[in-house]
Amino acid sequence: MYESEVTEMMKKRVPALMLASAIALSAAGCSGGNQPSSGSAAPSTSGTPSSTATAPDKDLVVAFNTDIQSMDPHNTTDTLSITVSRTMYESLVTFDENQKVVPLLAESYTAESDNLTYTFKLRQGVKFHDGTDFNADAVIANYERCLADTTLRQNSRVAKWESCTKVDDYTVAIKLKEPNSSFINQFTQFQIVSPKALEEGTDLNKAEAGTGQYTFKEHTEGDHVTVVPYADYWGTKATVDSLTFRAVPEDGSRVAMLQTGEADYIYPMPTVQADQVNGTDNITVGSVASNIMRYVTLNTNLPELSDKRVRQAMNYAIDKQAYAQVVFSGYCEEVLSCYPSTVSYYAPQTPYTYDLDKAKSLMEEAGYGDGFSLTLWGDNISAEQTGMQFIMQQLAQIGITVEVLPMEPSTLSDMIYVDEDQAEINMWYVNWSASSFDADGSMRSILHSDMVPPKSANTAYFRNSEFDSLLDQAIKTSDTDTLTDLYAQAQAIVWDEAPWLFLGNDELVYGAKTYVSGIVLNPDGSVNVTNATLA
Amino acid sequence: MGRYFVKRVLSTIPLLLVISILIFAFIHLIPGDPVRKMLPKEATQEEYEQLKEELGFNDPLPIQYINYMKDLFRGDFGESYKSGLPISEIFPARLQATLALTLWGIVWSVILGTLIGIVSAVKRGKVLDYVGMVIATSGISVPSFWLGLMLIQIFSVQLGWLPTGQLDSWKGYILPSITMGCSIMGTLARYSRSSMLETMQEDYVRTARAKGQRESLVVLRHAFRNSLVQVVTVVGLQIGGLLAGSVLVETVFSIPGLGRLMVDSINFRDYKVIQALLMFFALEYIVINLIVDLLYGVLNPKIRYD
Repeated sequence: MYESEVTEMMKKRVPALMLASAIALSAAGCSGGNQPSSGSAAPSTSGTPSSTATAPDKDLVVAFNTDIQSMDPHNTTDTLSITVSRTMYESLVTFDENQKVVPLLAESYTAESDNLTYTFKLRQGVKFHDGTDFNADAVIANYERCLADTTLRQNSRVAKWESCTKVDDYTVAIKLKEPNSSFINQFTQFQIVSPKALEEGTDLNKAEAGTGQYTFKEHTEGDHVTVVPYADYWGTKATVDSLTFRAVPEDGSRVAMLQTGEADYIYPMPTVQADQVNGTDNITVGSVASNIMRYVTLNTNLPELSDKRVRQAMNYAIDKQAYAQVVFSGYCEEVLSCYPSTVSYYAPQTPYTYDLDKAKSLMEEAGYGDGFSLTLWGDNISAEQTGMQFIMQQLAQIGITVEVLPMEPSTLSDMIYVDEDQAEINMWYVNWSASSFDADGSMRSILHSDMVPPKSANTAYFRNSEFDSLLDQAIKTSDTDTLTDLYAQAQAIVWDEAPWLFLGNDELVYGAKTYVSGIVLNPDGSVNVTNATLA
Repeated sequence: MGRYFVKRVLSTIPLLLVISILIFAFIHLIPGDPVRKMLPKEATQEEYEQLKEELGFNDPLPIQYINYMKDLFRGDFGESYKSGLPISEIFPARLQATLALTLWGIVWSVILGTLIGIVSAVKRGKVLDYVGMVIATSGISVPSFWLGLMLIQIFSVQLGWLPTGQLDSWKGYILPSITMGCSIMGTLARYSRSSMLETMQEDYVRTARAKGQRESLVVLRHAFRNSLVQVVTVVGLQIGGLLAGSVLVETVFSIPGLGRLMVDSINFRDYKVIQALLMFFALEYIVINLIVDLLYGVLNPKIRYD
């Protein structure tokens, strides 16, 4: 599915904005005009809030807006499931706070010069919670499981490996079919399950067999998952008594839970309420830049949109600061490329500063001084619709009449993934986030000419052979300097060609009690709780 | 009545079959499918087609239906595409949450609703009647999500007496049941009032009064019992609606019930879960209607079944 997990989450809070404002108006009084200036007032995620209150207990409760999709670590793609499974399972490598890949269950790893083979030295003396030893055979058993079962969400990743072989008991070599500079980033999501549990067919939704800091306690489908510290964990032990992840779909209720202390940490914190509750009831609100890119695709197959000057004019006609305020209450950063700065090899370009005169003259130049009409598609979620209406108003300033057509997401994707001669798409209000935080994942599926629908989501029908070859060269390269150069060139092309309206980069907003520290909200919306403390 | 009962039960079998065909056709005709949501978003069209084939979505619909029914007759409802869990495992816990809420919501609202109805009818045109009808109308017209959030603000956030939701303890049931029962209480108060007013005009009530019976007996034994036929009809319909789960109440109070499961499943196009839920709702309406019909006979012996 094309929409990011965040969109998926937003779907769940359909009546949320409405409800949140109902609460805000009726109970807390309206505090209009009290908007954050691009969220900079909020403390950063790593900053430890000053503790003024003490925790009533050592049971940490984290409330999310969605429920856990699956407890099987090989079958998760949504950020909440990943968050939960990371407490019990570990991968060979992981991201640190700066989205750098670091070893976890591996001691070290090396990429061979053929760009195909990766060798991992495994950590010794680690045991799975069921007593089985962690070693090369365990990694291979996990590979074989994911390869054999095509319904697992890890299957499509593993299918791109040529082999996974044992060099010795504590060394594994993975060989890829094709060079892929994104491999190591994607590999952070390959969590290792005990081979014994896999062999016995243990139901991973009811039991757990990882190596992680926590062990499974209970799971009520649709409601919550509780994990407790694992006494014999090989690394730093958890300091809380238990950790519960709760699904609280309604924004107003989630905030109320934080106010009452039923939850110690909530994500997402609804932006409309963020300022009201910050500093009250021992609550602190914080934000981090996400890996989500907000944009509108412009179908370059249409005669009007085939002209680069028109597409640039449209970008000049959009007030990005106003967009951030209107749609995200300020929790949105301007982006100066086709993907946000949290993703590797980000190369900022010259901004399309809001300038109606320039936009109008470009339209004149292209012969569209009188404007034209377009449709704008998008999800029928209230926040998305606000964004679409904003685009409509902005483009009206340069004579472009936009018809906003919000649609039910699955229906919309049926209309998008059609053969090119049947495509009816004009513009699509959408977002993209690469969970692997790499440049290729942030561009290929949505900009490479091989990826036009129905194959994937290049709905701008953007075809630029120079761009394609830069991307294809980069994926086979491992040298950092070369990659920096190649990706910078690629981004410059996209920015200049403007197949999209570049809108912004969401900030993720969380709320926490002041006595909670050590929880890290990642740019993909997953939460790292391994260092959480309650004091 | 025994024969009538058997006949009604037997007639549900072909009815359910027809319903299952309609549901199957309907949910497969809405655009979209679960396949894209099951794959990582970088997945290509080839991977999409491959998984679609494996899940059997490329078979003609009648074949898919027959396969589905075959499994169903073996007692296998299939698995959720979203979570991979068997439906037979998801369903009971969800149903339990919805049942518990429905029960508490119905119990207080039926008692209070009929009470208000009786008092209002007896005190027609007096202050108590107006007070009762104001309560009833407010109960019907207040939106449940607003009421729910207000209750949370007052009783959880401000006063700290009750949890914001979650059915972990008995305290967790209080606010959601109040929210859920409010409109039923209001509806019932209005129905039982008008039904009472009607029966109070009947000859047998006048006769009872003429006999010199105490007014309380006249009201409860003669008028109220006869007005119950209408009340039972309304309660039956309301229970049917509640058992389908209340999306808003379940959402506001973070309760994993059938209503939220239904909405999530539709969003995911989780066909088998939608199918199972709709079949359950259909069956539930059939059963409730049957019970209501049988209750008519108990309440009013003049009603005969043949």
